Amino acid sequence: MLNNITLGQFYPSNSLVHQLDPRMKILLLVALIVGIFLAQNLLAFLPIILFLILAAKLSTIPFAMLIKGIKPLRFILIFTFVLNLFFLQGETVLLNLGFAQIKTEAVVSAIHYCLRLVLLVLASSLLTLTTAPIVLTDGLERLLSPLRVIHFPAHEMAMMMSIALRFIPTLLEEADKIMKAQTARGADFESGNLLNRAKAMVPLLVPLFVSAFRRAGDLAMAMEARCYHGGEGRTRLRVLKMGKNDGLSALVMAVLIVLTVLCSRIY
Amino acid sequence: MQVTLENVTHTYQPGSPFQATAIENVSLTINPGEFLALIGHTGSGKSTLAQHINGLLRPTTGRVLIDGKDIHEKGFDKREIRKNVGLVFQYPEHQLFEETVAKDVAFGPKNLGLSGEEIDERVKEALERVGLPYDQVAEKSPFELSGGQMRRVAIAGVLAMRPKLLVLDEPAAGLDPQSREDMLSLILGLHRQGTAVVMVSHSMDDVARFSTRAVVMEKGKVAMDGTPVEIFSHAEKLEKMGLDVPGICRLGILLRDHQLPFPENIFREQDALAAILSLWKGDRHAQ
Repeated sequence: MLNNITLGQFYPSNSLVHQLDPRMKILLLVALIVGIFLAQNLLAFLPIILFLILAAKLSTIPFAMLIKGIKPLRFILIFTFVLNLFFLQGETVLLNLGFAQIKTEAVVSAIHYCLRLVLLVLASSLLTLTTAPIVLTDGLERLLSPLRVIHFPAHEMAMMMSIALRFIPTLLEEADKIMKAQTARGADFESGNLLNRAKAMVPLLVPLFVSAFRRAGDLAMAMEARCYHGGEGRTRLRVLKMGKNDGLSALVMAVLIVLTVLCSRIY
Repeated sequence: MQVTLENVTHTYQPGSPFQATAIENVSLTINPGEFLALIGHTGSGKSTLAQHINGLLRPTTGRVLIDGKDIHEKGFDKREIRKNVGLVFQYPEHQLFEETVAKDVAFGPKNLGLSGEEIDERVKEALERVGLPYDQVAEKSPFELSGGQMRRVAIAGVLAMRPKLLVLDEPAAGLDPQSREDMLSLILGLHRQGTAVVMVSHSMDDVARFSTRAVVMEKGKVAMDGTPVEIFSHAEKLEKMGLDVPGICRLGILLRDHQLPFPENIFREQDALAAILSLWKGDRHAQ
């Protein structure tokens, strides 16, 4: 019943992109997002698109998998496109439909906004596809750790994220088991109206919460038994190290941002 | 009521990289009034098999028949299965959810669409059945009870549906010796009153003591099927599958190693006692 949910979207491989330092990948994503917003015209998107194509090729991730990430976005895309098409003002009339006029500027802007959305999603899914969740939280923790000065709990946040990720499959399995057990007692999860279906979730959710709390208690005990006392003075199993490729990718990104800004100005 | 599995194969997540065949070409008939013990190593497909018996899992190929009718055929009312075949999962106490014990036990009968009076009567009966006094526990929250009591409430929830066949997945796992004994004698009591029982178990002593038939699963297939006496006479074969034999059986092997004529087909304590006494008396007569 629940086994058709794919968990996280990490695509295991040994590619160059996978091997990049997670901190660098997060920073690259931030830079790329800034670049996407800096791009003022369609030409300025070109370097970004080329960069993403190159990164996708290097990551060895099947093209179809990347496209799948955009699929849930299709309604927002259509909505954005249509809205821009009809409501943006401009000077040259491209098409006169009688009840509305479509302007050339509106078409360009509709494409611009949709492209921006697609690129944003593609760029972030490239990060989650090439970085295991645990590595990602590790990188995030290191990036946020300077904020400790202002008492930002970077370690605690990363630990909570790792634990949450770790328990998703466990809880799914548990949910499946409880669902089966209640079905065996005649519960019906699949028919009836919305209210009835919501009510039918109670026999599933209560035991699931009870078991989540029990597991949380057990885990806290096990962590304390192994002398966990927060992030202070803790050494790590995976020591993150920037390499030559990380520097190179940062350089490429810098060039890309410059190009984007230049293209935006020239046009 | 008779449940028949015909060439049942079940593959989890077919077509994906995680594809795994849990049981393969299993044919089995569960007769009325039987106490069938399902034995096997972890991952041998026992639980998957158990979930086919009441239609929770659909066979990838093959058929499951109740009294000759295919339960996955279109017009078959699934409630008919739920009514007749009760399934108790491992650690059933983890599925309790209601505010009071009585309400939780009533969940099954309510889903069957029974009348309020009938439900009350069944709840009372099921709770007494598992040895919990109705007056004391009915209005308590199931989460206030001890672990052993919670498990009994969960089992009462299945018994309240009055199944003709009860499938239990390791009902005694994680219980203390006294609760374990209570649980097993509860199951034995149900069997004596005519309920057919299928029990997944790792304890060969329990299998030897209670079951009328034992089925050994190995790598998704039925490896052995027979009376406990027949099954346990193949001690070596069982050990090769990573399974145990009852303690008495091991004692017998040791005794025979010492050239004592201890019969091979003894697996129960009382039979062993009789055999040892007769050996001992014979020995004294010889002196």
